[in-house]
Amino acid sequence: MTAAVVAALAAILAFTAVAPRLGHRLPPSVAASVLTVGSVLVAGSTGVVLAVLALTWLGQAPPVAQLAEWSPYALAAANPVPNFVAAGGLALLAAAGLRVTIRALRRGRAVMDVRRCHRGTSATVLVVDSLRPDAFATPGPGGRIVVTSALLAALTPAEQRAVIAHERAHLRRGHAWLLLLADLAEATNPLLRHTFRAVQHAVERWADEDAARHTGDRELVARTIARVALLRHDTAARPMTPAATGGQVPRRVRALLSPRPRLRPWLAGTLLALLTFSAVATVAVERTGDALFDRVATVQDR
Amino acid sequence: MTRRTKGGLEREILAVLAAGPGPMTPAQVRDALDGELAYTTVLTVLSRLLEKGEVVREPAGRGYVYGPRDAAELAARRMAEVLGERDTDREAVLTRFVDGLSDGDEHLLRSLLDR
Repeated sequence: MTAAVVAALAAILAFTAVAPRLGHRLPPSVAASVLTVGSVLVAGSTGVVLAVLALTWLGQAPPVAQLAEWSPYALAAANPVPNFVAAGGLALLAAAGLRVTIRALRRGRAVMDVRRCHRGTSATVLVVDSLRPDAFATPGPGGRIVVTSALLAALTPAEQRAVIAHERAHLRRGHAWLLLLADLAEATNPLLRHTFRAVQHAVERWADEDAARHTGDRELVARTIARVALLRHDTAARPMTPAATGGQVPRRVRALLSPRPRLRPWLAGTLLALLTFSAVATVAVERTGDALFDRVATVQDR
Repeated sequence: MTRRTKGGLEREILAVLAAGPGPMTPAQVRDALDGELAYTTVLTVLSRLLEKGEVVREPAGRGYVYGPRDAAELAARRMAEVLGERDTDREAVLTRFVDGLSDGDEHLLRSLLDR
């Protein structure tokens, strides 16, 4: 069991370390999908490993042992996991469960709040009267595109089309839900923070590429992003986001001024191999944990 | 007659206006609502809805007629309220066209635009 736990934890660490970096070098659609699926798998693996560790300690408590029909003494003797590690696993598991529950409830409420705003109208594009240039899409299905009057006034018709095409891509591809999954995975395992950022970036790049294909003009989309970002920056009463999240916009603009990204099969293959290894190790943790509890059972299965 | 809450009456009046054949006078709104509401009560609620921007009115005869605001426009107004609030959860569920810039980003972008 120890070997399986170490392998599963190593896979989690390896994925959280390399996935953000590899993701930036993959085409955005592949990066967003692989990194989101990977985040969910890693979050699930984290939960399984912590739960098995926690149970080797919790199972030594007489009431739990009685319920599960195994001997607490045999378990204590056979358990390869040091008690402080198992207790730490329990604490982390409880923290992760709490974090993911709270975040899911809060995000869910925000989705409903936003969607309630556009109830009663079938208009796909809503124009909000505002002095601040802004554009976003609300989560689908049936999500809307919201643009402000200030944004429309500042942009040429071609640039307006680029913005709408970008937001339409978010709606069509269900990007809000990819982001939400990666976000909740990050709540389960905070090591996934950089991976979540990479998913955010990949999703924006994906919509940028769709807009470029739709308008047939990569430079137009690049210029529109740069202009809107600068307009927003100039009208901001105070800095919008901490500098830590900076750098996304220039990277998007640069990527559009370069040729379309090519698929690098070996990069995507590396990530998929890592995820497969993580899944196998997680199943091994679960199996060996099961075997341990079977060995200390007071009632033998026939 | 059942007692109505303040918000409940607002919703009922909005529903009456939305279902109505066109702009309605406060008296017509009162008649369309079941129960015996005072004319002034209806007028008070209508002016409150007007202040909130949920209904529009135009002069007709010696008074005004009231109508529902265009649904898309109403949705846009509610969206504007959402936009105005800084709420990390809402920020998280919206896919925004561009994020904030650091000062370094700003210089970089200006030079990229000038190319």
